[in-house]
Amino acid sequence: MTTLIELDQAGELFKLDPLLEANEQEWRMIYISPHLRNWFEEALPGLISVWKVEISPLQQVDALVEEFCSGTTLCYGPQFKPIQHIEGGIWELKTPDVRIFGWFRVRDCFVGWRGEHAEHVKTYDLYHGLAGETARFRDQLDLDEPKFIPGEDPNAVVSNYSFP
Amino acid sequence: MPSYRITVSPSKRAAGRFVYGVRRAIQKAFAEEQSKRGLTQTAIARALGIHRSVINRELRGKKDITLGRVAELAWAMGRKPHFDFLEPVERGGQNYDIAACVNADATSGTANIEIDDRASSDAS
Repeated sequence: MTTLIELDQAGELFKLDPLLEANEQEWRMIYISPHLRNWFEEALPGLISVWKVEISPLQQVDALVEEFCSGTTLCYGPQFKPIQHIEGGIWELKTPDVRIFGWFRVRDCFVGWRGEHAEHVKTYDLYHGLAGETARFRDQLDLDEPKFIPGEDPNAVVSNYSFP
Repeated sequence: MPSYRITVSPSKRAAGRFVYGVRRAIQKAFAEEQSKRGLTQTAIARALGIHRSVINRELRGKKDITLGRVAELAWAMGRKPHFDFLEPVERGGQNYDIAACVNADATSGTANIEIDDRASSDAS
């Protein structure tokens, strides 16, 4: 059994550097799987916004990562929340065009398994399937128990979740 | 093992984070006004003479917002937008060397926008 740091050193997970501003502190962390790292490099740069908005899916993810890691308030009411529980302790990080599936190892520490175009996920109703796939990856990962925070309470998985 | 960084050009990174941040500032202002006085998207839409679905898409990042619309939304919320081009400030405890970052980014400052809660008297 291993820790996230050991998995990072072994190349089984990668710590995401959010490139915060000079005066920002990294209050929350993101680790990503090799699968998600590949997706960031191969697929994400080529994704096109179905909403045809000025910031590309790649820019949306970069901005979300910065917001998440800087520890700022995540949720402004039920409609404006960039994280959402799916099932079995699997969560998604959301932008208008992207969904990233993963879980919280401990509070404020997200482990992302894979990403998808939001439109693709919604069109083919892939939430359940992708949550199951993510859970299988989590279960197979040689990570110290408990591997994740169970339940669907966002305040249990992130600090400073909501306004007010 | 070095940490992984998402590859985005510095200018695109600045643009994406700015646009995202502006939208989040609007969402925050809306949530505050909703909590304070029960403001709804329908009321904003009515005040601006547009359909509620347009406001909803703009607030959720599914429709671009012009600078003019930022001001209109602020007005409809009884707020005032505030816009600045800030110079980067070097301080202790920062995450990286600001000078190197500015050179790499080919930018000399940070743009920032906030929605102040100074109520405008003619907002509905």
